[in-house]
Amino acid sequence: MNENLLWVEKYRPHKIDDVVGNEEAKAALLYWLKSKRRTKKAVLLYGPPGVGKTTLINAAANEFGFTVIEMNASDTRSEKAINAVAGPATSFVALDTFSTKSKGNVLFLDEVDGIAGNEDRGGVGAIIKIVENARIPVIMAANDPDIDKLRPLKKVCALIRFQPVRIPLIISMLQKICQKESVKAEFEALEKIAQNSRGDVRSAINDLQSLAEATKTLTLDDTVTLSLRNKDINLDETLRKYFSVKSLAEASKLLSWSSVDYDELLMSVGDNLPLRYTDPQALAEAYDFLSQADMFRGRIGTENWHLLKYFFNCLVLAAAVSPDTYQPFKLISPPIRIITLFWTKGKRTMLEGICGKIGVRCHVSRATAKQDFVPFLKMLLADQKSSDLISWLELQPEEVDFLMNMKKP
Amino acid sequence: MTVLNKKAFRLPRLEKEKFVLLMRLGLNYDRASGMYGVVNCNNIEKLVDALSEILGDHDLSFTQTCLACGRDFPCNECRYYELCENRNLPFSCICGKCLEEGKTLKE
Repeated sequence: MNENLLWVEKYRPHKIDDVVGNEEAKAALLYWLKSKRRTKKAVLLYGPPGVGKTTLINAAANEFGFTVIEMNASDTRSEKAINAVAGPATSFVALDTFSTKSKGNVLFLDEVDGIAGNEDRGGVGAIIKIVENARIPVIMAANDPDIDKLRPLKKVCALIRFQPVRIPLIISMLQKICQKESVKAEFEALEKIAQNSRGDVRSAINDLQSLAEATKTLTLDDTVTLSLRNKDINLDETLRKYFSVKSLAEASKLLSWSSVDYDELLMSVGDNLPLRYTDPQALAEAYDFLSQADMFRGRIGTENWHLLKYFFNCLVLAAAVSPDTYQPFKLISPPIRIITLFWTKGKRTMLEGICGKIGVRCHVSRATAKQDFVPFLKMLLADQKSSDLISWLELQPEEVDFLMNMKKP
Repeated sequence: MTVLNKKAFRLPRLEKEKFVLLMRLGLNYDRASGMYGVVNCNNIEKLVDALSEILGDHDLSFTQTCLACGRDFPCNECRYYELCENRNLPFSCICGKCLEEGKTLKE
C-alpha cells in the first residue's frame, strides 16, 4: 500500500460492511440497488459531510461489480456537460460488460446541492431528464437537500438520510487505524478526536494523521491543539435544540454553530414561542426579548454586523426564560409568513398584473393602482356596469373573475 | 423515560390520522403480531415527537444494537450520552463494554 497516501484514502473501505456507521442507510441503499422493480429510478443520499456517502457508493460498486461514472463538484455540470457525459452512460448498456467483469454502470452525481451559478446553468433540469430516461441506477449525494433548487429533483428520487457517525464507532475505527499504522495512542486522545469531529469520520482520520503520523504516538496532551469542528446545522435542528437548551451558554454556542438565515430564525422563533411557553408570564418575557432581537436585526441591516452579538444575546435570553419547563412539541417550520407567501404567490402575481394594466392606462404606479383603483374597479365589476372598462383595461376573463372573488386588495 | 425496542414495540390503539402519520414518518405495523417497528429513519426526529405525544412521555428513547456483540442496550448507558449528535435515536452503535474491551479490533 502506498505510504504517501492520506490515511483517508489509504483506509477508504472497499466493502460495504467496512463503512462505519449508518447501518440503516446502508441497508436502504442495498435494498434499492438489489431491487429489480424500483419505484424511483434514482436515489439521493443526503447528510452532513464525512459520514460515508461517497465511500458507500464506491464500496457498493466494488462489491457488486459496477463501474462508477462520477461527476462531482470539480466538474462543470451545465445541461450540455451533463447530457454529454451522463446521457450516453445512462441510456446504453456498457460495452465493457461483455469484455470485463463489470456488471454495468452506475451514474454517481456527487454534491448535487453544489450545482449553481452560470457555469452549471440548466444542470438540475438535465439531471431530472436523465433520471426519467435512465436504464442504469442513478445515485446522487448532497449535504443539504432542503435547498429550493433541489425540490424538483427530490420528487424523482428515493431519499436516504445519513446521520453523523457516533463517537464509539469513530473511536473503534481510529483504534483500527492506529493498530495498522503501529501508532501507540492513548484511549482518551482518541476519545477527544472523536468528540471533536462531531460525527465527521473524514475529519477525525485527518486529525489523527496530523497528530500521530510523525511521532507514532498520541497522548491526550497532543490533542490540545485541536479546535472544535465548526458544523453548520439547519433550521429544524437549530429550533429543536434552541427550545430545549438548559443554559444561556448552551444556547449561545448553538446559535454560533447554526447556518440558518437570521430573519428566518427570528420568524420561526416567534411562531414557536407560544408552543414552548405555556405560562403567559414567561411567554410575554420571551416575546420581549425577541422584540429586542428584532430591533437589533433591523439596526444591523446589511452592514452593522458588529451588532450581531446583541441580536444573538437577545435570542439566547428568549430561549432561556424558563429552561426547566421544556416539554417537546411539534415545531412550526418553515415560518408561517414564508409558507403564506408561498401559497399566495399566484394570487399576488395576478394582482400585480392587473395593477400593471391599470397603471399603464391611468398613468399611475402599481402601488397607487392597488390602493386607489382596485377597490372601485371591484365595485364596478360587482354592479356589472363595466364591460367597456374591462375592454379598455384589456383585462382577461380570469383576471375579472379574480377581482370579483377577491376579498380585499 | 420510556425505552422502545426499534424493531418491535406496542402502542395504544390509535386514531386513523395518527396511524397514517406514523406510517408516513417511517413506522411499520405488523398486523399479525400487533407490533410497530422503525423502518425508515429519514424523519426520525418528527417520528420521535409524534410517538412522545402518543405515549405522553417526552423522554422517549430507543434501544441501540451493538455492532460488536449484537446486544440491545439503552442509550443512557453510554458514557458519551451528553455529547452524542443523535442520542436516543434508533441507530446502531457499540456498547461501552465492547468498546473498552476492543472487541471491534479483534474482528
